[in-house]
Amino acid sequence: MSEIAGTAVSRKYSMGVDIGSTASKCIIMAEGKEIVAKSLIDVGAGTSGPDRVIAAVLKDSGLKLEDMTHIMSTGYGRHSLEIAHSEMSELSCHARGAYFQHPAVRTIIDIGGQDAKVMRIDENGILENFVMNDKCAAGTGRFLDVMARVLEVKLDDLEKLSAESQNEVRISSTCTVFAESEVISQLARNTHKRDIIKGIHRAVASRVGALARRIGLVDDVMMTGGVALNDGVRLALEEELEHDIFTTELAQYNGALGAALFAWQRSKKKEI
Amino acid sequence: MSNKIENLLNRFAEAAEQPKRQLDAHIAAGKKVIGCYPYYAPEELVHATGMVPMGLWGKPGSPNKAKEYFASFYCSLVQMNLEMALSGELDQLSGVIHSTLCDTLRPGSQNFRIAIEQIPMIFLAHPQNRKPDYGKEYTRVIYTKILNQLEDIAGRKASPEDLAKAIRVFNRSRKARREFVKLAGQHPELVTAVQRSQVLKSTFFMEKSEHTAWLEELNQLLAAAPAVDWPGVKIVTSGIIADSPELLGIFDDLKIAIVADDIAHESRAIRIDAAEDKDPMEALAEQFAEQDQDPLLYDPAINSRPPHIVEMVRQSGAQGVVVLMMTFCDPEEMEYPSLMKGLKEANIPLLKIGYDHQIKDFGQARTSLEAFADVLSMRA
Repeated sequence: MSEIAGTAVSRKYSMGVDIGSTASKCIIMAEGKEIVAKSLIDVGAGTSGPDRVIAAVLKDSGLKLEDMTHIMSTGYGRHSLEIAHSEMSELSCHARGAYFQHPAVRTIIDIGGQDAKVMRIDENGILENFVMNDKCAAGTGRFLDVMARVLEVKLDDLEKLSAESQNEVRISSTCTVFAESEVISQLARNTHKRDIIKGIHRAVASRVGALARRIGLVDDVMMTGGVALNDGVRLALEEELEHDIFTTELAQYNGALGAALFAWQRSKKKEI
Repeated sequence: MSNKIENLLNRFAEAAEQPKRQLDAHIAAGKKVIGCYPYYAPEELVHATGMVPMGLWGKPGSPNKAKEYFASFYCSLVQMNLEMALSGELDQLSGVIHSTLCDTLRPGSQNFRIAIEQIPMIFLAHPQNRKPDYGKEYTRVIYTKILNQLEDIAGRKASPEDLAKAIRVFNRSRKARREFVKLAGQHPELVTAVQRSQVLKSTFFMEKSEHTAWLEELNQLLAAAPAVDWPGVKIVTSGIIADSPELLGIFDDLKIAIVADDIAHESRAIRIDAAEDKDPMEALAEQFAEQDQDPLLYDPAINSRPPHIVEMVRQSGAQGVVVLMMTFCDPEEMEYPSLMKGLKEANIPLLKIGYDHQIKDFGQARTSLEAFADVLSMRA
C-alpha cells in the first residue's frame, strides 16, 4: 500500500492500458468512478511506449502497481503487456469508455492510427454492432500522417490550415497511395496547401462515413481516437453524415478508460 | 475414445498440410494426377478414368512470377495457382481442369494456357442457365468432351460402370463430409476449427475412398461422444475459402465454434449428390443443375441465398455469421449486400473479415472476432 498526498491508500484502483499502433495510453481509476491519473505517449505497440506510459501514471498518482486491483490491456498491442491481468478488444473498451463519458451516446466513430471503426451501443452501454475498415490505411490516422509528410506541414497544423481553405480540391478516398500521388500533382500545380488539406479531410470523412452508413447512425454520435482532435475531420464528417458529432477531451483515452472500467468490474466480480 | 479421435485428426492434418507428399504418393503408386480448379469440377470423371483428382485452391504466400500475368487486384487463389504452376510445383500433374465460373477464372484459364505449356489444360465452361433441359444437355456435352480429354491423358476409356462407380464413391464421400460438418458443430470440444478445416481440406488431396474410410471412422466416434455444453459462442462461416490455421486458431482461442458453413471450399461443394440410378453423364449434369445458393452461380430466383443462410443459422443453433470475404472476389462482394440485408432482417449478427492467401498477420481479424464474440455473448 502506498500513499497519496500523505494519506494511506485505502481506495481501490484499477488500471486500463490501451496500446495502439501509434500511441500508448494509460488511465488509473478509483473505484471505477473517478480518473486519478492519465498519460499518453506518442509511440505504440512494440516500443517503449507502454512501459513509459504506465510509469508516468504511477508517478503522477503516487501509486504502485500493487495498488491496482486489476490491470486490463486493450488495443492492437494488448497481448504484449505482461503485467496485465486480462485483456479485451478495443471495440468493447471504446463502447464502455464512451458510455461512461456520455450515457446518451449510441454511435461511436473511432479513428485511430491504423484503423477506423464505427460502433453502435445500446442504452446500457453494451456493444451491439460494429464495423472496421478493411486492411487499408485510407481513412485512418496513418492517411493523415502520410499526407502531412508530403505537404511538409505538422500534423497538428492540419486543422488550422484546413479552416482557412477558400477553394477545396477533391482528393481520392480510395487508397492512400493514389491520394498521395494526387496531392503531389496538386502541389505541382501550385494548389494552395490549405485547399488540399481540406480535400484530404473530406477524403477521410468520405471513407469513414461509408463505414458509418453501413452500420447506421443513431444519435448521439461521439468521435474518439487521435484523429478526433483534428476538428477539420470532425466537421467534414458532420457534413458527410448530416449528424452532429461531438468529441471530448478524453477522445484519445477512451479505450484506456473503458479498459480501466472493465478492470474495476472484473476485480469486483473476483471479490464476490 | 478421445485418443482415437485425436489420432485420426492428426492424420487428416498431415494430409491437409502436406499436399506435395500426397502427390508424390499418388505418383509412386503409379497413378496419374489431375489438378482441379474450383468450382464444381466433375472430379468423378477423373476418378472414372483411373486417375486421382487433386484440388487446386492456391496456397499461402504472395505471387511473384504470376504477377507478370495478372493485375494486382486479382483473386489470390487464381494467382497462387498459376504461381505454383510457374514454379514447377505442379509439374507432376498430367493435366489441369480449369473451371471458368467467374470473371477471374475465365481470363485466368487463358493465362494458364499460355504460360504453362508443360501441363495440358482442360477447359471447363459450365453453363449459367444450368436448370433448363438445354442447360443440362449443354453440361452433359461439356462433361463428355472433358471425359474424352481425360481418357486421352489416362490412355484408357471409362466404361459406364466406371462412371457409375465413381459417382457412388463421391456420393459416399460427400455424405461422410456432410455428416462430419454436423458432428463437428455438435462437438467443438473435440474438433477445433483448425482440425475441422484440415479434415475437409484433406479430401482435395487424398484418394477419396481412403479419405472416406477415415472419415466414417471419425464420424462414428464423434456420434458416440456425449453431448457437452459449449462455453463459447457458435457461428456459421461463409465465403470462398477459410483454411488458414493462423486465422482459425483465433476462432479456437476465443472459443468461437463453427457449427455450419457456407464456404465454397467446404460445404458448398458437397450439398448435392449425383443420382446413382441414371445414365452417369446425365446424373452429373443434373447434379450441377441442382446446385444453388452460391454467388458463383446464376440464381433465377434472385437472392435465394440469404434465406438459405438464415435457415442454416437457425438449424445449427448458431448465434451469428462470419463472412470471410475473399479480397477482389466480385461475385462474393456483389452478393454481400443482399446477405447483409437478409441477416439484418432476421436479427442475426454478421461480421465481415477480409481474407486471402497473402494475409499473414490476422491482428485486425482477431480484434474483430474478439469483439464479435463479446457481442454474441451479451445477446445470449
